[in-house]
Amino acid sequence: MRKFPLGLASCVAVLAIWQIVSGMKWVNPALLPPPSRVGPAVWDILTTGSIIDPLKQTLSLLAAGYCIGCVLAIGLGLAMGINRHVYNMFEPIVELLRPLPKPALVPPLFLFLGIGIATKITIVALAAFFPVLINTVQGVRSVDPVLLNTARTFRRSMPATMIYVILPAALPMIVTGMRVSLGLSLTLVILAEMLVGSTGIGFLILDMQRSFAVTDMLAWVFILGVIGVVLNGAFETLERMSLHWRSK
Amino acid sequence: MTVLNQAPLGDGFLAPPRATLNPYAISRAGGWILVVVALMVWELSARSGLVSSQSWPPFTDVLKATAEGLYSGELSGVLLSTLMRMLTGFVIGGAIGVILGLLIGTIPVLHRLLSPLVEALRPLPIPAIVPPLILFLGIDDTLKVFVVSLAVVFPVLINTTGGIRNIDSVLMQTARTFRKGPLYRLFFVTLPAAMPAILAGLRISLSLALVTTIVAEMIAGSGGVGYFLIVTQYGMQPAKMYAAILCLAALGYLLNRGFVLVEDRLVAWDRRSEVSA
Repeated sequence: MRKFPLGLASCVAVLAIWQIVSGMKWVNPALLPPPSRVGPAVWDILTTGSIIDPLKQTLSLLAAGYCIGCVLAIGLGLAMGINRHVYNMFEPIVELLRPLPKPALVPPLFLFLGIGIATKITIVALAAFFPVLINTVQGVRSVDPVLLNTARTFRRSMPATMIYVILPAALPMIVTGMRVSLGLSLTLVILAEMLVGSTGIGFLILDMQRSFAVTDMLAWVFILGVIGVVLNGAFETLERMSLHWRSK
Repeated sequence: MTVLNQAPLGDGFLAPPRATLNPYAISRAGGWILVVVALMVWELSARSGLVSSQSWPPFTDVLKATAEGLYSGELSGVLLSTLMRMLTGFVIGGAIGVILGLLIGTIPVLHRLLSPLVEALRPLPIPAIVPPLILFLGIDDTLKVFVVSLAVVFPVLINTTGGIRNIDSVLMQTARTFRKGPLYRLFFVTLPAAMPAILAGLRISLSLALVTTIVAEMIAGSGGVGYFLIVTQYGMQPAKMYAAILCLAALGYLLNRGFVLVEDRLVAWDRRSEVSA
């Protein structure tokens, strides 16, 4: 229990240094406002309700793209993991597309799908797709053959084996892949909002930088950081639960 | 990917000894045929005017633009500048990550002190930190190298710390039993034992470094492939844009392949299956 205060101390220390550096004007406070000004800005954003619209925009884009990407990836991943023919059919195309840095796909998607919501959802789904796919395939392939043989001995149908044996056994790997892609998806939502459109947290941050509203910009970066920590924390809990449950 | 290339258990086990054709040969060929068909659909849809759009150049035009761009030096120069920024950031971030990871992994107080801070900073999406940093570092190479280093530090740091914490305690006890000093233990026990985890972290970071470089170049454009993509998109030069994307895919593939080769050499003794990330 002594662990927590120490970690908190280092966070407080960073804030204190930031406050001093900016307060003593060692760094231009116009460029780096002290936490004593960013804090109230965060509070204002939260209490005036101006957080609602951008947050809703960003999170709904993230949720939509992420869910589409994960569902497609898990579906294809299961098929590729179970059936060697399916695996062979899709492996070359997956291996050709996977190393492509996903942000590079933002400009062509703009040309195709316009600057609307479809582009952003697609790019997020693409970012989420590959880590989940690879992990699902590996997860399915590393299922203990004894489990599969047992299911076969008991004459379980393929769908039943899939739902009750393969999916649970591969779940920890799948969840790990989903956590990795969550970070990537968040990155791409923000990037897409920055590059195009006029809504969402990403747009706000870039817009505020251009109009030199530094305090508000930092407040939004802070909020975004909190969102990242919360989403990541939620997933790590989920991951631990899925691992724990398998070890039983 | 080595794991994926293995045949599933029992594959070919019951195959008749004189079978000349692998039962999977057809689907394996099918995979490449699928790629070829996709490219042909691309080519034909653009040539036939089925999709008549300024933004849909035929695949052969893209190949031509790639060859021209690489030959004339326009595309290759852009790629090279991105690669240089990326590698500089990767080396700086990787070194900081390994050193910090070693410190945090070997000194418990530091772990308690710093890991909450790391956990708080790590999930921050990279594009979000670019605008604040532009105010300090401008939009030149300094900014991009800094951002890439920052992105690289965290996976390397986490993996290094994790690798050290997972070292078999018998190893450390043996070293202590033989009265080896802390420096000896660091270089001859800790570092080699954590090496697979460190290299895995570096490999993850390598692709992250490329992504981050491009993101930074897109937001704070002054050069590089990221900026080139944006410029060709707005300038309606789709063939050049796709050429750049093609090269990036090749670059990403080669970087990963190269690193895996190095990794296999350095930790050939490590047979643990890896989790891709």
